[in-house]
Amino acid sequence: MLNIEGLTDVTDMTILEQLFYYVQQNGPYLWEQFLRHFLISIYGVLLAAIIAIPLGFYIARHGKLADWVIGIANVIQTIPSLAMLSILMLGFGIGTNTVIITVFLYSILPIIKNTYAGVKNVDNALLDAGKGMGMTWWQLTYKVELPMALSVIMAGLRNALVVGIGVTAIGTFIGAGGLGDIIQRGVNASSGGAIILAGAIPTALMAVLADLVLAWLERRLDPSSRARKS
Amino acid sequence: MNTNNKLKLAALAAATSLTAACSLPGLGGDLEEGTITVATQSSTEMVILGFVVEGMIEHYSDLEVEVIQNLGSSTMVNQALVQGDADIAAARYTGTALTGELGMDPITDPDLAYSTVVEGFADIYNQKFYPSYGFANSYAFLVSRDMAEEYDLETVSDLAPIADELTAGVDNSWMVREGDGYNAFLETYQFNFETVYPMEIGLVYDAVASGNMDVVLGYSTDGRIASYDLVYLEDDLNFFPPYDASPGATFELIEEYPILDEILLKMEGTIATEMMQELNYVADEYLVEPATVAREFLEQNNYFEDTEPYLEPIGGE
Repeated sequence: MLNIEGLTDVTDMTILEQLFYYVQQNGPYLWEQFLRHFLISIYGVLLAAIIAIPLGFYIARHGKLADWVIGIANVIQTIPSLAMLSILMLGFGIGTNTVIITVFLYSILPIIKNTYAGVKNVDNALLDAGKGMGMTWWQLTYKVELPMALSVIMAGLRNALVVGIGVTAIGTFIGAGGLGDIIQRGVNASSGGAIILAGAIPTALMAVLADLVLAWLERRLDPSSRARKS
Repeated sequence: MNTNNKLKLAALAAATSLTAACSLPGLGGDLEEGTITVATQSSTEMVILGFVVEGMIEHYSDLEVEVIQNLGSSTMVNQALVQGDADIAAARYTGTALTGELGMDPITDPDLAYSTVVEGFADIYNQKFYPSYGFANSYAFLVSRDMAEEYDLETVSDLAPIADELTAGVDNSWMVREGDGYNAFLETYQFNFETVYPMEIGLVYDAVASGNMDVVLGYSTDGRIASYDLVYLEDDLNFFPPYDASPGATFELIEEYPILDEILLKMEGTIATEMMQELNYVADEYLVEPATVAREFLEQNNYFEDTEPYLEPIGGE
């Protein structure tokens, strides 16, 4: 009943030709899932940044807390992602929000750790100079510590985003959508090798691109490189 | 200064929990009020059915529908309905529902199995188990067309006189299954094949089509049955429990939106086994997305406007 004659017979194609054909046929769908995947990862990381960067600054000044906070973040990190998703699913149900929360939890450690390290490594002489100039607490944070630590913080975000993109791929199992849907469909189709690639290659590409872009940003923000240019 | 910081932290935490409670831009609203969510598992067949249900609802009502696919198991789909994360289960198979969600023993009589699941889902989960779409995805013995004609084969029992010369390819897991597995089969049908080869289920269709196997045990809705022109042997002793596919929904939902009840009732008997084979085949072998397959199927059948119960189309593109 369906118009099979109008469809191209793909059984004789090589897997690469099939992949090309699939992308051609389902381009908009692929793009939609790509965007969805990216947004889920980005939202998780951004939410984590909003919490973890201030927390990183805070624990950098309160050394006793640092061990505790980083310890807890470390424990979260050791939970396997599939287990974490399943546990959170019990509380938050299925859907994208649960995956965003999972990405959020995995992003906390790299961001806190890097913020903490970045702020800790700011030269005390600079802080003293700032204080000597009569800077307020806020000015010290905003004009001295943040710029000095920014490139290290970016490295943490970069780490978190790459992990987040991987975690989001598993989110398909709790109905979040994204490129994981395409991979999973390929696994289930009787000859879905090409579909698996159509889902897996963009996922890998997204992670690599995110890494490259943030690495570039990290270099741009490094105060030592800025000093050299001006 | 410290209080300042704490205040900021508290505000941020509040903001985060707020954003987590509603949906973020660009991701669609899976928690939005008034959106009907259809949950499916990951097999091609169930995903197609999910989009068929979506297409039907959007054609006959102005409700927004979202399909959640790739849930791991039928129990997970059911859990999503119970928790209110999803409203409709796109496909349930009587056999799976009996032993899975309801935790009962398998029943081989199709009518008894169906009435049992209808009662069970109403009592335990407050859900309606709808009449079947019209196809069953169960284990099926398959032979090539030539073979069927040569030996005049129609039922599984017809294999008995020639079985000791036949090679059979079967699903790995079927060999060791309790209840409807190999050992139970020997007991019920009282014959054995010359050799039985356990193999990957995806390979059995090619094996019988190429003549490497004389008879194989496959799934009855696999698209390759139609394309290789294989003959399905009727399970005349009702050995395999029935796996008729039906949609399901909570009673709360259909009380709130009675139109959904009518739409799901309308789906009864609309998809025959051969049709499901074809839909699966197109999606798997021609690399067409299940959403596209479902839409074409509905368009070609004019959204079943001519079948009872008659409904007025509202939505649609």
